[in-house]
Amino acid sequence: MKTLRTMLITLGALLIAAHPLVVHAEDITLLNVSYDPTRELYQEFNAAFAKHWQKEKGQTVVVKQSHGGSGKQSRAVIDGLEADVVTLALAYDIDAISEKAKLIPANWQSRLPQNSSPYTSTIVFLVRKGNPKGIKDWEDLVKPGVAIIPANPKTSGAARWAYLSAWGYALKKYDNDETKAKDFIGRFYANVPVFDTGARGATTTFIERGIGDVLVGWENEAYLALKEFGAGKFEIITPSISILAEPTVTLVDKVAKKKGTQPVAQAYLEYLYSEEGQDIAGKHFYRPRSEAALAKYANQFSKVSLFTIDEIAGGWQKAQQRHFADGGVFDEIYKPK
Amino acid sequence: MRKSWLFGGVLVFTSITLGLAARAHAEEGGPSQKSLEQRFDELDQEIRILKRKRELDQEAAENAKKATPIVKYSKSQFSLESADGSNFIRFRGIVQADHRLYFDGANDIRNRSDQRAGDLDVNGFHDAGDSWLIRRARLDIETTLFGKYDFRITTDFAQGTASVAYAYLDARFDPAFKIRAGKFKSFVSLERLQGASDIKLIERSYVANALLPNRDLGIAAHGDLAFFQGRLDYAFGLVNGVSDGGDISTGTEFDGRKEFTGWLFATPFVNDTSVLSGLGFGAAATYTDASGERNLNFTDTTPADATRNGLPSYRTDGQNTFFRYSSAAVADGARIRVSPQAYYYIGSLGILAEYARVIQDVSLTTGGSPPAGGAGSNTSFIPNTGKALRHQAWHVTVSYLLTGETASFKGVKPSQNFDFGKGWGAWEVVGRYSEITLDEDTFKDPTGTSFTGAYANLSESAQRARSMTLGVNWYLNQNLRAAVNYSETRFDGGAGDGVAPINAAGTNVADRPDERAVLTRLQFAF
Repeated sequence: MKTLRTMLITLGALLIAAHPLVVHAEDITLLNVSYDPTRELYQEFNAAFAKHWQKEKGQTVVVKQSHGGSGKQSRAVIDGLEADVVTLALAYDIDAISEKAKLIPANWQSRLPQNSSPYTSTIVFLVRKGNPKGIKDWEDLVKPGVAIIPANPKTSGAARWAYLSAWGYALKKYDNDETKAKDFIGRFYANVPVFDTGARGATTTFIERGIGDVLVGWENEAYLALKEFGAGKFEIITPSISILAEPTVTLVDKVAKKKGTQPVAQAYLEYLYSEEGQDIAGKHFYRPRSEAALAKYANQFSKVSLFTIDEIAGGWQKAQQRHFADGGVFDEIYKPK
Repeated sequence: MRKSWLFGGVLVFTSITLGLAARAHAEEGGPSQKSLEQRFDELDQEIRILKRKRELDQEAAENAKKATPIVKYSKSQFSLESADGSNFIRFRGIVQADHRLYFDGANDIRNRSDQRAGDLDVNGFHDAGDSWLIRRARLDIETTLFGKYDFRITTDFAQGTASVAYAYLDARFDPAFKIRAGKFKSFVSLERLQGASDIKLIERSYVANALLPNRDLGIAAHGDLAFFQGRLDYAFGLVNGVSDGGDISTGTEFDGRKEFTGWLFATPFVNDTSVLSGLGFGAAATYTDASGERNLNFTDTTPADATRNGLPSYRTDGQNTFFRYSSAAVADGARIRVSPQAYYYIGSLGILAEYARVIQDVSLTTGGSPPAGGAGSNTSFIPNTGKALRHQAWHVTVSYLLTGETASFKGVKPSQNFDFGKGWGAWEVVGRYSEITLDEDTFKDPTGTSFTGAYANLSESAQRARSMTLGVNWYLNQNLRAAVNYSETRFDGGAGDGVAPINAAGTNVADRPDERAVLTRLQFAF
């Protein structure tokens, strides 16, 4: 008994000594691991959600952000980066977290509306003022002498969407003749002078370093560049058809459960579908899902005929195996210069 | 006027001629203004592309560097480290190959019942045997995670079987506040806290080896604080508690109670450049209150296993046992240790001094199974036999580096490594006086009137040992060291008349023969 008392006193003394090290229990910190171009979107959304949560629950939420190439971010989570939520460029990267790290159930995509994709985007072209090379559609990007700047599809989510957009265009143009589509894609990537690993890097190459005639990338990134660097320098060209890009989001169940942040992390993702969340998405040039927000921002987006990944590649798993895995179509057609 | 018309006409003619010539040249395939601009743009793009590629290559190299573990292999360590330095694993090791040479007279405890090596001589001793031995063979694995959580496990293979020398976690929340838990050196003896590869003589003194605790299991808060121009190291621990000089080998403590340890050590001028910069002083203490009830279980074990009754045995510099308690004695009550300690290093000179006093409550028991085994009878305390015994020890160790290196509490770095004709490594001479004195009451019965029925037998165990040790260390390099020590120890008590048992008056007690030993060591540590 005396020993027990002694141990309790010692433990108490140690706890008192360690008191300053204890984090204020009422603050909640979430980590959102996302891809490159969503920095600005989530800066505004995080502030809006924190305000909403404070009002609803009286708790302070701080959402930390981590950005990088979508595939790279996925690997970081698999390797132990403790994300409460992931908001990545493509579902395949979240599937990888589910399969390799078992942090997320396999049916994650059915847990939120619209296949867990609260906003969409597509692939467009950004050209220099006056469109000196006369770029109008995908066909123009494979002409000799045209330098195009997409990111590397091996490392970038946006680049995979861009690749599949070009592939989808070629399939439609050549009546699903894959040989001709491969030839088209081969000529497309033969016109790439520099390969960046991520979408934000490709934007830097095109805009800040002044390289190439066309930036092939996210629609939201193109509009953001136009807004930041001035419409007088660049123009957006919307091709005749492009892909419906669906960035996806999900809770990282095991991490959130361990950290005790599951309810707030889930609410965070659901808030992306709220009117405020949708409005913020539209404001940052993502295509909102809600009719009201879509209508509000309709004028900022050009009309484009969109096809889905299922239509042209049978979904992400098949697309990955067929095109981007080692020995896939991309490895076949692309030879580094 | 006519001249000006003439000049104008020539100019127009020349211009027309040159223009026609340029046009004719362009039509013949020469570069037009437009194609020159185009070529310029193309070259500009090529330069930009090359620059960007270089930029991307550099970024890729930087990123690869951030993610690439660093492998370090140097004379002091082999480690794998994450690029940001916050995680690493380090491998270290030490091997000490010793030889012990004894001159006539170096003995084990007199009249031992288990004759371990040969017959006893006429005085009840057998001479200690010369031997080669591996004193330490340790592999040390140290890991740091997130820059602040250290884990260390050290396995010692020297005894022929693997044993865990250290296994602890150190959480470094702040330099001023760290928590260590597991098996570690108790923060008590200064000489003990000095690394096994750094101690100046082959064996530690009576203070560290005999009276103060070695490694124990438990938890300790420790750290260092600003103090004058230097710092104050502190440590407060709660451990199982081991007997004097003890090294806990299992998770079982003697009676379920814990021992408190406290240690303060100041180096107030360590950041100065004055002559006091190498001065450090402090004090340590331990306290436990051990009921002897559970120790009764261990009193019928062999005499060689003397520490299992909660009481220690003590050994000489030559590692021969010169004192052990009676098998009827058990630790029963409080045990308090105090130890003032200091060191001073200046230039090549180093001095380390330490004193220790232990107050050990003991009682006598009766019964139990006889040493040879058998049923025996229940063990019980003999009433009114409790006594607080006061033992003390001290030492002063002086070292001097003949080759001019700077002395310190840590190891020696030779200014030049040994290489025939090029360098002789570092040479150091060391001297130590160390003595231990046991309470006179230890050797008398509880009433203090008879030498029989005592807590220890004065004709078998010495009451005092005084050792003078001289040594030479040769540091061939930072990793390799050769050492030779000569040690001479004199005793009070510890022997008798032939093999006759001690009489009640203690008139047939003699001094144990002097121990003279030469200890040598070849040490490799990395």
